[in-house]
Amino acid sequence: MSEMNYKSNGTLVLNGKKIRGELVATETSAVFTGKKSTTIEMAYPEIEVLKNVRNGDMASTITVKMKSGEEYVFMLPNGLKVYHYMDKMWDNKPRVRSRAEELHRLAELRGERIVKPKKHLIKRRHPNRSIGGDIGIYVMLAVVAFAMAFPLIFAIGSALKPLDELFRFPPTVLPKNPTLDNFSDLIVTMGQSWVPFTRYITNTVFITAVGTFGHLVIASMAAFVLAKYDFPGGKLFFGIVTTALMFSGYVTGIPNYVIMSKLNMIDTYWALLLPAFAAPIGLFMMKQFMEGLPTALIEAAHIDGASEFRIFWSIVMPNVKPAWLTVIIFSVQSLWNNPAGTIIYSEAKKPLVYALQQIQAGGIARTGQAAAVTVVVMAVPIFIFILSQSQILETMASSGIKD
Amino acid sequence: MSNTQLGFTRRYLNMKGDMFRYNMAKAKRMKVCYLFLAPYALLFITFFILPICTSIFYGFTYYNILEPARFVGLQNYINLILQDEVFLTSVKNTFVIAVITGPLGYILSFLFAWFINELPKWLRAIAVVVFYAPSIAGNAYTIFSIIFRGDAYGYLNSFLLNLGFIDAPILWLTDPNYIMTVLIIVILWMSMGTGFLSFVAGFQGIDKSMYEAGYVDGVRNRWQELYHITLPSMKPMLLFGAVMSITSAFNVCDVPRALAGYPSTDYAARTVVTHLFDYGFSRFEMGYASAIATLLFLVMILCKKVISAALEKVGT
Repeated sequence: MSEMNYKSNGTLVLNGKKIRGELVATETSAVFTGKKSTTIEMAYPEIEVLKNVRNGDMASTITVKMKSGEEYVFMLPNGLKVYHYMDKMWDNKPRVRSRAEELHRLAELRGERIVKPKKHLIKRRHPNRSIGGDIGIYVMLAVVAFAMAFPLIFAIGSALKPLDELFRFPPTVLPKNPTLDNFSDLIVTMGQSWVPFTRYITNTVFITAVGTFGHLVIASMAAFVLAKYDFPGGKLFFGIVTTALMFSGYVTGIPNYVIMSKLNMIDTYWALLLPAFAAPIGLFMMKQFMEGLPTALIEAAHIDGASEFRIFWSIVMPNVKPAWLTVIIFSVQSLWNNPAGTIIYSEAKKPLVYALQQIQAGGIARTGQAAAVTVVVMAVPIFIFILSQSQILETMASSGIKD
Repeated sequence: MSNTQLGFTRRYLNMKGDMFRYNMAKAKRMKVCYLFLAPYALLFITFFILPICTSIFYGFTYYNILEPARFVGLQNYINLILQDEVFLTSVKNTFVIAVITGPLGYILSFLFAWFINELPKWLRAIAVVVFYAPSIAGNAYTIFSIIFRGDAYGYLNSFLLNLGFIDAPILWLTDPNYIMTVLIIVILWMSMGTGFLSFVAGFQGIDKSMYEAGYVDGVRNRWQELYHITLPSMKPMLLFGAVMSITSAFNVCDVPRALAGYPSTDYAARTVVTHLFDYGFSRFEMGYASAIATLLFLVMILCKKVISAALEKVGT
């Protein structure tokens, strides 16, 4: 039996007379505390029924019918919210003190010292872990995290150093007088380049946007049928894709170059985009995530007479948004970081990263600018990852390869 | 052949034929599936399967793009193994890097993902970013060329000079004795990649009630819990992480080129992939480069087979 607590500024109609006060009740008992010291207690044996009271309801009148035949009507002008005892509002009520609390109160009155049990410093989520091991892990994680972050901090520090500090002995990690000079120098150098710098930016944005969009659509279509339909050859194809996860751009680079030169695609964006459309990692992630969708969803749509394309576009795709994001991020990362040095040789078609690397290769005089470039290039993927971490992890949870 | 054997063979062939007809009928019924698959399959075959086939083919030829390919049989492979000393150096280097960074990076990714999983939620989110950032930070590894610079302005050199460990700056990136160590450190720094993310997600996906059941059944410490509960339910992620580790361990190319120079002193930092790049894109000896690529494919596929066989035995 659940207790309930009716709380409202109610009005009790008693023998035709209205009394204002507060009503506190459980399912089988009710106490009405009137403002002018009228208290009426009603408890189980006498109460026959409490009308209009249901957990979670709103009621404007409540009738308490006693076994003796008396009937009390509570008029509740503000409406009555019925609280369950687990609700937050329950805390606002004067609580019945537990025996321990009462003993504490009495002891305090007598002036005795009470020893309260200590709270654990670290909340123990796993009962079978040693505290020593936990501390060891925390310390080790802190040390390693520092080692992981140090080069990145060093890169950011270098990018903010003025020229004289870059060559100071001994070198420092963080700049004493941080400036943004390196970034403004970078912009000046960009302005002097032979091809206008906005051109590089447009190129990269174009490649990244088109490549990612095409990859998302094409890979999702394939992933949908591979995940949800059992057709001859499907499993074999997916097995090959899984193996192809291992073939990075370097190894297939040589034969790809030959194929692209045969297809007359060298020095066009197709040479970058088409392989990006077919990147195995995107299909892999998408397919593994789509397998988690209930098949009943698709069967129901089939029975309703929806076509496969409609199912794909208006049922499956809206349901795999976390996977979209993951596919988009992997694709953006690889396209953004791809200097495409071997495939595209017209200067006006080069992507941003290539141009930045050229500035970076400018030697000692550009050490500061090189550090600024490093920061610019690394900021974009890391920033995107920070924003979308939870969705990516949701997708990665289904990333395993089942044999 | 006896009569019963003949009957058996005929029945076997009949069964195969039936299965083929059944599959064809099924394929016909589900032709819309192939329609969905077609755009991806076409591109995938053109840019991932065809390159592998062509590299196997060109591996047996002399080909420099300008002239038509000339068949030379096994000459490329013979040259690779018997004459090309630089290739043997590169194999040795790749082997050292792969054997150290592959398994170590894999184990570290797993361990740190496991430790991170025990952290409170907000701390976990930060830790994941810190550990994952190096692998997606573009060419941030070039910063190591300042840290390991050969003169006294290099960070490590000045640090060690100040502490009095060394008297003269060490040429970390040009001395063949140190190059490999430096490379391995940098590659390990970058090894918390996609596999690591997969592990982090995998740990979060494990059913909590399994751990509770574990306490009741007397799992006494974290190592027992890891071996008996966590590892078996992580198998698919472990295999995925292994595939990712193999990929990154064998495809080391950019880091040595950026840090140790291209070519490096005494070819001390040459890997198979930089060797392949040298022949493919600098000398345009595509046939020879294809032979290298083919060997690399074979080794990687072999590695994956061995690891998936080993993972079968984990936690059982």
